[in-house]
Amino acid sequence: MTTLYHNLQTFFRGDTGHFSWRHFLREHIFSSWWFAPWLLLLLYITVRVVAGQFAASPVVTAVVLIAWALTVMVTAVSNVLHRHTPLTFWLSNNLYNSITSAFISLLIVLLLIAGVRGFFGWAFVRASFVPDAEVAAQTLSQWEDPGANWGAVVDNFRNLMVFRFPREQDWRLWLLVLWNVLLLIPSTFVFSREVYRRSRVRRVLALLWVFTPVLAYLLLVGIGDGGPLPRLNPDTVWGGLLLTLIIAVFGIIASFPLGLLLALGRRSKIMGVPGWLTWLVVLPLTIYLVATRTVPGLREASGPGQILISLLPLLLPVAAYLFLRYFHGNVVALLSTIYIETVRGVPLITVLFMSIILFPIFLPPQMEVLSTWRVLAAVTFFAAAYLAENVRGGLQSIPKGQFEAADALGLGTARKYRLIVLPQALRAVIPAIVGQFIGLFKDTTLVETVGLIEFLGVANLISAQPDWLGVRREPYVFIAIVYFIGNFLMASYSRRLERQLGVGER
Amino acid sequence: MEQTHIPDHTHKHSHAGKTDDIIICRDVHKWYGEFEALKGVSMTVKRGEVVVIIGPSGSGKSTFIRTINRLEEHQEGEIIVDGITLSHDIRNIAEIRREVGMVFQQFNLFPHLTVLENVMLAPIHVRKWDRDHAHERAMHWLNRVGIPEQADKYPGQLSGGQQQRVAIARTLCMEPHILMFDEPTSALDPEMIKEVLDVMRDLAVSGYTILAVTHEMGFARTVADRVIFMDGGYIVEENTPDDFFANPKSERTKLFLSQILSH
Amino acid sequence: MTDLTPQAPNRRESVPFWRDIRVLGVLAQIAFLIVVISGLAWVARNVTQNMSTLGGSQFLCRDGSSSVRCAFDFLQLDAQFAISESLIPYDPSDSYGRALLVGALNTIKVSSLGIVLATVLGTLTGIARLSSNWLISSVARWYVDIIRNTPLLLQLFFLFFAVILAFPPIREANQLFGLPIFLSQRGIDLPRIVMMPSFMTWLIFLVVGAALAAAVWWWLGRRERETERDANRPLWALLALLIVAVPGWFFASATAADTQGFLAPESSGITEFADVPEVVRAQLGLENLNELDAALDAGTVTQEQVDEATVTFCAVENSPPLTNMAAELNRANVPWAVERSRTPAAASADFAAGECQLLVSSRTALAGEQAALADVLPSTLIPLRELPVRLSVPRIEGLNFVGGIKLSPNFAAILIGLTVYTGAFIAEIVRAGIQSVAKGQSEAARALGLSESQRLRLVVLPQALRVIIPPLTSQYLNLTKNSSLAIAVGYPDLWSTAFTTLNQSGRAIQVFLIAMGTYLMFSLLISSFLNWYNRRVALVER
Ligand SMILES: Nc1ncnc2c1ncn2[C@@H]1O[C@H](COP(=O)(O)OP(=O)(O)OP(=O)(O)O)[C@@H](O)[C@H]1O
Ligand SMILES: [Mg+2]
Repeated sequence: MTTLYHNLQTFFRGDTGHFSWRHFLREHIFSSWWFAPWLLLLLYITVRVVAGQFAASPVVTAVVLIAWALTVMVTAVSNVLHRHTPLTFWLSNNLYNSITSAFISLLIVLLLIAGVRGFFGWAFVRASFVPDAEVAAQTLSQWEDPGANWGAVVDNFRNLMVFRFPREQDWRLWLLVLWNVLLLIPSTFVFSREVYRRSRVRRVLALLWVFTPVLAYLLLVGIGDGGPLPRLNPDTVWGGLLLTLIIAVFGIIASFPLGLLLALGRRSKIMGVPGWLTWLVVLPLTIYLVATRTVPGLREASGPGQILISLLPLLLPVAAYLFLRYFHGNVVALLSTIYIETVRGVPLITVLFMSIILFPIFLPPQMEVLSTWRVLAAVTFFAAAYLAENVRGGLQSIPKGQFEAADALGLGTARKYRLIVLPQALRAVIPAIVGQFIGLFKDTTLVETVGLIEFLGVANLISAQPDWLGVRREPYVFIAIVYFIGNFLMASYSRRLERQLGVGER
Repeated sequence: MEQTHIPDHTHKHSHAGKTDDIIICRDVHKWYGEFEALKGVSMTVKRGEVVVIIGPSGSGKSTFIRTINRLEEHQEGEIIVDGITLSHDIRNIAEIRREVGMVFQQFNLFPHLTVLENVMLAPIHVRKWDRDHAHERAMHWLNRVGIPEQADKYPGQLSGGQQQRVAIARTLCMEPHILMFDEPTSALDPEMIKEVLDVMRDLAVSGYTILAVTHEMGFARTVADRVIFMDGGYIVEENTPDDFFANPKSERTKLFLSQILSH
Repeated sequence: MTDLTPQAPNRRESVPFWRDIRVLGVLAQIAFLIVVISGLAWVARNVTQNMSTLGGSQFLCRDGSSSVRCAFDFLQLDAQFAISESLIPYDPSDSYGRALLVGALNTIKVSSLGIVLATVLGTLTGIARLSSNWLISSVARWYVDIIRNTPLLLQLFFLFFAVILAFPPIREANQLFGLPIFLSQRGIDLPRIVMMPSFMTWLIFLVVGAALAAAVWWWLGRRERETERDANRPLWALLALLIVAVPGWFFASATAADTQGFLAPESSGITEFADVPEVVRAQLGLENLNELDAALDAGTVTQEQVDEATVTFCAVENSPPLTNMAAELNRANVPWAVERSRTPAAASADFAAGECQLLVSSRTALAGEQAALADVLPSTLIPLRELPVRLSVPRIEGLNFVGGIKLSPNFAAILIGLTVYTGAFIAEIVRAGIQSVAKGQSEAARALGLSESQRLRLVVLPQALRVIIPPLTSQYLNLTKNSSLAIAVGYPDLWSTAFTTLNQSGRAIQVFLIAMGTYLMFSLLISSFLNWYNRRVALVER
């Protein structure tokens, strides 16, 4: 824009007396061959949108247009004269940086106003808030284009939160919430301040946290039939946001041990099974399988599928070769890698269905497990693979020298990891784990597909209630807001942590 | 190459009795994959002796001293430290690591622990001292290396020289008989080098057995009892410091010294 | 690892094996293996015991016996369920195997389209996030934050139930921005580019033009090196291409016009194409046919009048002349209707029977027809213009849109959902990638006098790509895996068809093996491709 201003300057000050259009055009329109078409397109779109908005709401559009024209002019003049008020300075840096930028700003403002007006009209002006279906229908019928029927959300608030949790047992939930809040408030101080590093307070708090899962189990599930904490059936009484939170929190915590082991396993460098031993096992096994399966299989096979199945034993030596070549005989690393990559390679939804359909087949015949437990197990196994990769990233960020120093001091493998490596590695992956928790929190919606009624599942039930038939948008918007607030807070907390730990800079 | 003389009696007592030879290496070979980094290294270090290893980059100095406490595994030959044979036996490895302290070029302090905790960690968990005793000894060693006032800081808050002195204190607190230094000063600024060398000199005088890889020729000349020159995975020359610098035996050493001393 | 190096000679002192590192390592592994294998064996035993609950037919062979060998024989049985959309011909009498293939192809379709669209959307948004215009960057940030922090399944449900299914019925379809894009309960209808037969002729010109452009590019490049001045190569190369391609366009069009045309009864007074709109205009009493919509709105022309004046023609369905005629009539804003028939003979019969005013077909067919009908219905043969490339525009005929591309509501929901969701993640990756290229780099490039586009192309992009590709890979993988949520909006993807197969055939274990194996294969393919690409980018860098 400099030449433009230069030109205008000379124009205003009357230095040369005339404004060089040719120069202006060459500099600003034809400097780049795509700029002119782009500007034309932008102008066309702007005119269309302005016309459209003008037809829809003349007053607002006119006001915006006038304000836009005025500020653009004021900004241009301030730029030319090099005299800025804070406002024009901000405008020229943020909204009117260039010709196209000024038009785009106008466009966005107009569209935003239209969008926000539309949303407000739907959500508040033409909306009904009463939880009584009949009154709501009456209120809404006065509008040609009725807005939101928030009554559905209000009426089903309890369902959305806890679904069928027995009302007289509510105190259990409140107690659990209270317990966590009471622990959380001092924890934020105690665990972030150096002063408390060796203090007893920290140890007590840690102990209480360790006790929390037990308490949560007692409160959420209970023991015995009578007594103060009667047993509840999770399949029937857990639901709504409660179930979502249980699954997400349980998943991330329970997957921790397995994920940690998998990460360590995948990185393990223990002396491998020697080649001769591997072949000693694999070759006879292959020969045996070929003799008992492949040969008769091929003889009887009909169709390519059966031939393929018969030939499977021949893959054994190939697998053994690859195992020795890429894993140096390390079975632990091999199996950890296979587990991690397989789980990460398939969608969560298949794992969830597996828990519902296949787990019962994998368990002994008489053993019946509630589907809630099965889903929790599936989520845990699934999350563990992702957690393992996060932890592995953390382990990789630990310099080799740390391992060597620990070795040289004679710490031994277990202590080396417990005292030196893991404290550093885990601290480095806290942001990644928060990110994974956000992901898990969102992914929990998938358990709806296997029949557990979590947060989103309740929303779908609402639209089938006779009172609120077909009301979908409102509960969806409500759920989206809850998720957004929760995740946004966690994400910003994680970003702050990341900055504190300096992880992003490494 | 020079064949080091190995006294016969060490052989008989290789497992049990403590002898004057605290480190004995016989024909040590080390391969990295197909690359042979040590091609038959033999030498002995006597109790209380200060041995300096020098040599051009890539000659295998680090590799050699790292095989002694099993940070690297050697494939052939024999290493006996304080009467303990270094083998695949985990107990022997653990014993040797207690005997041998090592100081690294990059300090390798544990950044999540304070200076004091760095020093106390191994004694508490490996030597099983109680906290108070460990604390007392740790402060003693921090005093000895001259930085007791930094005890509650984190390594990241210290200068390079201070960090290296903490690393030395951490090693000393384990009360090893042998100290190994792998270029302890080459990551430091000149004025910090002196503070670390002073500590090392102090230790040499107080009777530790020291095996140091260093390019500080002044240190080698004044403190060492013996200088070992390595090149290409061999020990090319073993000599007293005076002879080593004044009239080296091997051509390779002369060439190396002329290159180093020329600037 | 230790294979290459000689083992240490036997030592005099032997190490007890429980203290020997090497033995301990192997023992630990064997113990681990035993634990894993016994776990698997336990599962296998349970599975055999549970076989009865699964139904005895799990491993049924065709001869009635039962053997693990026949585990996958069921794939040849009749699927007996319908699939709403498919890339290959399929009907319920096809096998389970084919049904699964249809699902896999649908997954590939939605994932690959989604990957392309999400990359475009994400890149644009990522750049917008860095825009110096505050409004642009804030809008982009809000989009990214809102989408990233809410569940994909919620977005899909919202999109499907609360947006797409809430579109107006087909007769009142929403038209987007006045473009031929229609939104209705039946999904989204988009215009489609159709290549006509004469495209092949034009293609020759295009190839020649491209060769010329390449030559110009090369020659100008030499001159640039000689003069050390920028010679605006893109512009000249484009001109070279146009110089050949534009005449080629008309040439191809002219050759095709001789091959097709339409018959108009002499009574209609039509002797050339321009007469068609003229007749309609006169009938409606308008100045200009472009005013038709306005006149309808104003009420000066009634719908009945328009119906009356509508031009009807007979043609063979999906034939090039039909496409040409439709496009030409659309251009002239003529209201029209078409009688589609399967064969030229049927079309002629319809014409002869007076079911339409015009007969559109190939030149030779028309000449024969003209002669045959000379007595009954004397008619004129009028050539019809063809363009090498035509736009097929969706148009309501009866209860459906005809022409263009149709995205079913289910497909539209999953495709848009995946694109918007993954796009938000890609935007963050792109932003971080660009920001990771240190400012100094850009300034150094400017100092060297590189132009803005050269700076982006030669300095920023290669470095940013190195940061971008690894996380981008995992986003592509996520998109592919997330496409399995299609089952929630009723799009028949791999998981959806697999689940139906599972329910119908009862072969739980096999179906899970197939479905998960296929997803695993997709994942491996994508990640190995991008790893390969990443290595290439990294190599070019060094
Ligand atoms: N982990 C390893 N893998 C493969 N080769 C290695 C490894 N470590 C060292 N080497 C090789 O072994 C040889 C000896 O390395 P070493 O580190 O012992 O040299 P150095 O004498 O300490 O050199 P410097 O003075 O540079 O520290 C070098 O050629 C090096 O490339
Ligand atoms: Mg070294």
